[in-house]
Amino acid sequence: MITVSGKSVCWREGMTVADLLKQIDDSQAYAVVRINDSYVTRPNFGKTVIPDNSEVFLIPMIAGG
Amino acid sequence: MDAKTKETFIGGKGYDLWLLWNAVKPTTKWNDPENEICIAAGPLGGTPIYPGSGKSIVTTLSPTTATVIDSNVGGYFGPYLKFSGFDALEIQGKTSNNVVIFIDGVDQKIQLFESTGLPDDAYELSATLTEYFAAGKPRSISVVSTGPGAKNTLIGCLNFTWYDVKRKRARYKQAGRGGIGTVFADKGIKALVARWDNVTADTNNPANKSALKNVAKLHSREIVELDPKQNEMRRIGTTHLVTIMNDHDLLPTHNFRYGQHREAPNIGQAVYRPLFDPGFDGCWMGCTVACSHGIKDFVPLTGPYKGQNVFVDGPEYETIAGCGSNLGIFDPHTVVEMNFYCDTYGLDTISAGTAIAFAMECYELGLINETHTGGLRLNFGNRLGALELVHQMAKGEGFGHVVGQGVRKMKEIFAKDFGADRKIMQDVGMEAKGLEFSEYMTKESLAQQGGYGLALKGPQHDEAWLIFMDMVHNFIPTFEQKAEALHWFPMFRTWFGLCGLCKLPWNDIIPEDNKDTSEPAKIMKHVQWYAEYFSSVTGRKTTPDDLIKMSEVVYNFQRIFNLRMGFGRREHDAIPYRAVGPVTEEEYLSREERYDKQLAEFHKVDINGKSTAEKIAILRQHREEQYEKLKNAVYNRRGWSSDGIPNLKTVKRLGIDFPEILELLKTHGVA
Repeated sequence: MITVSGKSVCWREGMTVADLLKQIDDSQAYAVVRINDSYVTRPNFGKTVIPDNSEVFLIPMIAGG
Repeated sequence: MDAKTKETFIGGKGYDLWLLWNAVKPTTKWNDPENEICIAAGPLGGTPIYPGSGKSIVTTLSPTTATVIDSNVGGYFGPYLKFSGFDALEIQGKTSNNVVIFIDGVDQKIQLFESTGLPDDAYELSATLTEYFAAGKPRSISVVSTGPGAKNTLIGCLNFTWYDVKRKRARYKQAGRGGIGTVFADKGIKALVARWDNVTADTNNPANKSALKNVAKLHSREIVELDPKQNEMRRIGTTHLVTIMNDHDLLPTHNFRYGQHREAPNIGQAVYRPLFDPGFDGCWMGCTVACSHGIKDFVPLTGPYKGQNVFVDGPEYETIAGCGSNLGIFDPHTVVEMNFYCDTYGLDTISAGTAIAFAMECYELGLINETHTGGLRLNFGNRLGALELVHQMAKGEGFGHVVGQGVRKMKEIFAKDFGADRKIMQDVGMEAKGLEFSEYMTKESLAQQGGYGLALKGPQHDEAWLIFMDMVHNFIPTFEQKAEALHWFPMFRTWFGLCGLCKLPWNDIIPEDNKDTSEPAKIMKHVQWYAEYFSSVTGRKTTPDDLIKMSEVVYNFQRIFNLRMGFGRREHDAIPYRAVGPVTEEEYLSREERYDKQLAEFHKVDINGKSTAEKIAILRQHREEQYEKLKNAVYNRRGWSSDGIPNLKTVKRLGIDFPEILELLKTHGVA
């Protein structure tokens, strides 16, 4: 099990960030997520595997900076 | 301020600009006595219960741009100045007596001291003055000062203090851009000191305290709840941006040649997170973002503090990119040391970084050599060389003195004195309007090229940061959409400077239901809260559209101010080609697939058989045309002529059709 922005989500072996975003079907276009203390960006979503028991945060970065 | 002026210019930057407009002439130079430094907090500044409400806005005529510069800075000075009875401070004239100006709101007096024997370095000076004036309450003091680098360069910053009760020390924020510290030093001012006592929700005298408390609570609570789930700014500041920018090819490296480097994680949040000293780091009271982190017990390897334990305020993203990756330096210790010495010497880390990067590129291109640099081998990545330049800037000696003149003047010196090629320097010298670029790559974001190039004071991202909207999310693909973004975002961001606010609470912590709104990039829920905030403090019933109108007035006035000073036309919105596309074959080849694809698919160019040099030239022609088209679209959206001058209809609609403005416009063909 992992938590995604505070909500529990079922985890599976080899699950990537891209898999997660597809699974939760969130309408927002995310370019950045945080897994525990590590930031992962869209170019790496498909190759970043989420460890079990992770806390995942979806970061809606649009016009900050 | 009379009622009409108050209604027109709101406060903060608006007041500053109006005071400065009335003080200077079109012929005034930055170092003339009549040039002023204006500081104002704005009507909402000093509210301790609403996050990000302690900003001061500083304006002057800049030594590097020769026209108006503005800088938005934290620390307690602006609020304390206001509570002492002044909406704005206007400093003119010059002295040779190292004057300390003490504005004592507690005892309601102003004193001017001639000083001797005070330290030059900023940290020591602030600590000394805080202790001297505090009367046992150091939190009641805020000091504005600069350092020796400001006197000996054109890129000096001002340090504004806030007192850190837990750590028992004066902490810093900087009004960095455009050499305001240099003007301050040139005027012979050693420091400004403001004193005020307790601050409560009543101190700013809100018109409707109950409404203020309601909206402040909503925004504060949301930040407390969501920041830990989003960017963790309360824990790591803006350091998370380093690897995010790097992954998207947006982190400047090697004088903005590239946007990515394999060693970037060495200067990212994972490295700085454990270095930051935990504790409350709000540059204004009660701010729940509290992102002004620092490092304690840092030991510099060079300079006058070599081997000593010091506290460093920072680093933030801009300093890491400017004094790190853009110099080819990926050592976190060197970045912190650059940060420390720039602050201590009163130097802007962004301009210092971008200027050193330009010098390094000129050295690597063979445009300058060791006979010019005083023996320094300025290859990218030379950590000790970069630090040595900062030390030389402070002393006004050696090649550091040349670098401290900024990129625009360096180009002239290198061409005139060293015979360097002007054309290549124009392409790679990262300045526009005389101001050094802040630290984002713009080659693949036309909208952000406009965000930098069309910014009134020069290429600083505080007007518009559209890279993600444009390049990463592709939310604004058309010229019209980019132009709309380059209207709305600069206007709303300007509003923070009118009111004494920080923009971070607006769009760096985002409501969970924001994605379901019609315009998620604008974070309209927060914009509505800001309208309620303004109404509750001022008693002036305000809508989100009113906020944009307030900014439009001041924004257009500043554009016209530029015009009055000899700038503010289309030609002045030019940017170096390095900001637009690949200058060298090395740059093109590093992303050949991307550029080839764009030429073939987007521009419909047959690239078969074409050399790299030919492809660079074709791509350049297309990209420069696109930038000119963008200017047309933005000028049209803003109600400006094709030469970038606000038209008559616009100044009348905004109520700034003063006789002197109409006369000025007439002399520029607008009637």
